Amino acid sequence: MEQWIAMLLLISAIWLLQIRKISDSVPILAFQSFVLALTAGAMWYETKLSHLLIAALLTLVVKAMIIPAILHYTIKKIDVHRQVERVTSKYTSLLMAIILTVAGFYVTSRLHLPSTKFGEPYLPVSITLVFLGAFIMIDHKKALMQGIGLITIENGLFLVAQSISYGMPMMVELGIFFDMLVTVVIIGILSLRIHSTFESLNIEKMSNLKG
Amino acid sequence: MIDMGEVSLLLIIPLVTAVLCWKINIRIGEKLQIVTALLNVFVGLFIANNVFFHAPITGWHRLIYIDALSAFNVMLIVLIGFVASLYSVGYMHHEVAENIIDAHKVRHYYLWFHLFLGTMLAVSVVNNLGFLWVGIELTTLVSALLVAFYRKGTSLEAAWKYLIMGSVGIAFALLGIIFLYLSGMDLFGESADSLNWTVLHQAAKQLNPQWTLIAFIFVLVGFGTKAGLAPMHFWLPDAHSQAPSPVSAVLSGVLLNTALYGIFRIYTIVNTTLDGKAAPYLIFFGLLSIAITVPFMLVQHDLKRMLAYSSVEHIGIITLGVGIGGALGLYGAVLHMFHHSMAKSLLFFTAGNINQKYHSKRMDRISGVIKAMPITGSIFLIAAFAITGTPPFNIFVSEFTIMRAGFQSGHLVATVLFLLFVVLIFSGMMYYVVRMAFGEAPAKLEKKEIDRWSTIALFLPLIAVVVFGLYVPPFFQEIIQQVAFVLQGGKS
Repeated sequence: MEQWIAMLLLISAIWLLQIRKISDSVPILAFQSFVLALTAGAMWYETKLSHLLIAALLTLVVKAMIIPAILHYTIKKIDVHRQVERVTSKYTSLLMAIILTVAGFYVTSRLHLPSTKFGEPYLPVSITLVFLGAFIMIDHKKALMQGIGLITIENGLFLVAQSISYGMPMMVELGIFFDMLVTVVIIGILSLRIHSTFESLNIEKMSNLKG
Repeated sequence: MIDMGEVSLLLIIPLVTAVLCWKINIRIGEKLQIVTALLNVFVGLFIANNVFFHAPITGWHRLIYIDALSAFNVMLIVLIGFVASLYSVGYMHHEVAENIIDAHKVRHYYLWFHLFLGTMLAVSVVNNLGFLWVGIELTTLVSALLVAFYRKGTSLEAAWKYLIMGSVGIAFALLGIIFLYLSGMDLFGESADSLNWTVLHQAAKQLNPQWTLIAFIFVLVGFGTKAGLAPMHFWLPDAHSQAPSPVSAVLSGVLLNTALYGIFRIYTIVNTTLDGKAAPYLIFFGLLSIAITVPFMLVQHDLKRMLAYSSVEHIGIITLGVGIGGALGLYGAVLHMFHHSMAKSLLFFTAGNINQKYHSKRMDRISGVIKAMPITGSIFLIAAFAITGTPPFNIFVSEFTIMRAGFQSGHLVATVLFLLFVVLIFSGMMYYVVRMAFGEAPAKLEKKEIDRWSTIALFLPLIAVVVFGLYVPPFFQEIIQQVAFVLQGGKS
């Protein structure tokens, strides 16, 4: 069961590399966060640790609902039909994603990370999510997509903490959620300003500062 | 013994100021924020005084912990914060008069500016490393908006780069903190206290060494991005040159220190666990940061970018000093933190005045600053001599101390390289500075200072730059020694 949930997370991250329109990224991201909430919920079900339930609910509300809503609003203001632009072709990026996935599983097996009983199946996927998130940031040329990559990295880190120790202490976890929310708001604000100034979200247009 | 009232006051004042400046009439707001910033100087110094000369403060279920290192950072933030808010008034008057920004945008500036100061103060007083992370991420978010304040293409570019690089870097630091949590888990189990700095520090000897090393490397790279250590410094020259000058001063003067504070907090734990094996990493990154600024300094054409690269250099020097370690090295590093904050913020303030006078940051368009603005021009020259480590100014004292520590502890190669780079940077920077300061000012330029507020603000850091170069008062030595003692891993 856990393996299947982990696979869903992996697919969502790879999918983010294959989209055609920027607006497609929002439902995929919401789906990814929903699955993430599911993993925390499953761990809560097995262990009955109350802070896991809170983490699951917060993930559901903040990451799977509010953050996608903010991103959706931002994209709607810019242009819903805008196509993504990538550095590599669609097939190269798929190949890279597969290589990174293999690397993620390999690194995890070599690191001998201690893990909790019910978190263990997610560990390789969580590390892979961090890798894939970084690759999304590098591969996509649209400013907003870098934000999406950043959220994927954060999702990966959340899962690392979950599978190693059932999450960070509750208060810290709350602080991290708050930070995520503010980050997304500011990514939204800056994307809008970038779009209105450069008439584009392509980060290659922003290369005036050198030396 | 101090109760938590003062600490809450320290955190609440910037918050209230921010909201007030945003809501009330800006004419009153801009005066009010000077008063509250001054009030916070008193609160901050009162707390610092208690910590330095009595005992560390702890409270709110051990959520807050202020020892000498925290108090030192608080002191710097309130001092530079106050001077910058004083300077901001004149700076913003001029920007509004020149129609560069709308009058009603100014209150947004004060809103974000004071929130920014508040987040940095929060970072300095929390005990829990998780909260430390949350706070440092918040400083990035708030200051990114300040960097983007002018809404020009270049400032948006700088802000975006800063936001993305800063957030990714800090994500790495979070991974490091998760690993640190892991390294103590066998000892403490899953309790919220096990991320508390005090708890980890006491148990440092028993932590799992393999995990602490991995944690430290992640934290060093993560917070190092924020502190502007090479090779993660690429956002820094952009952000510092595009932000409004008072913000650049705060970014260089205290934000970088606050990020370093995060590294050093974790370093003191890890270095105890690893028995000194973490120090070479600091020496390596420190030297690399100094080295990398040399070529950029020599070919620079933008005044504020040059100052930003100089910040990379000085953060490198502080890191090198802590890496060299020993009582003397740490003393020099802490002293250098203070001196760099004062001299660099002073330089950014004067650069702001020059900038507004000449309507350009390009150094080849600036000449005769001393003739055009006698006060700003002379202070600019003094500050530039100070920052390049010329005697008898303050930076010379701390750089010399670090060099002496380096030779004494046998880090010969590192110290000789350090000396060589500093000399090269001195010649590169002075070449440009002398050309800007002397010579004839353009004829159509009015011979007068920008604004009395932005001139008054120059004098407080100037006193520190000049006086501490000649004489370090005993009470100040005592403070620096206490901070160095905390960095050494001693109980304070």
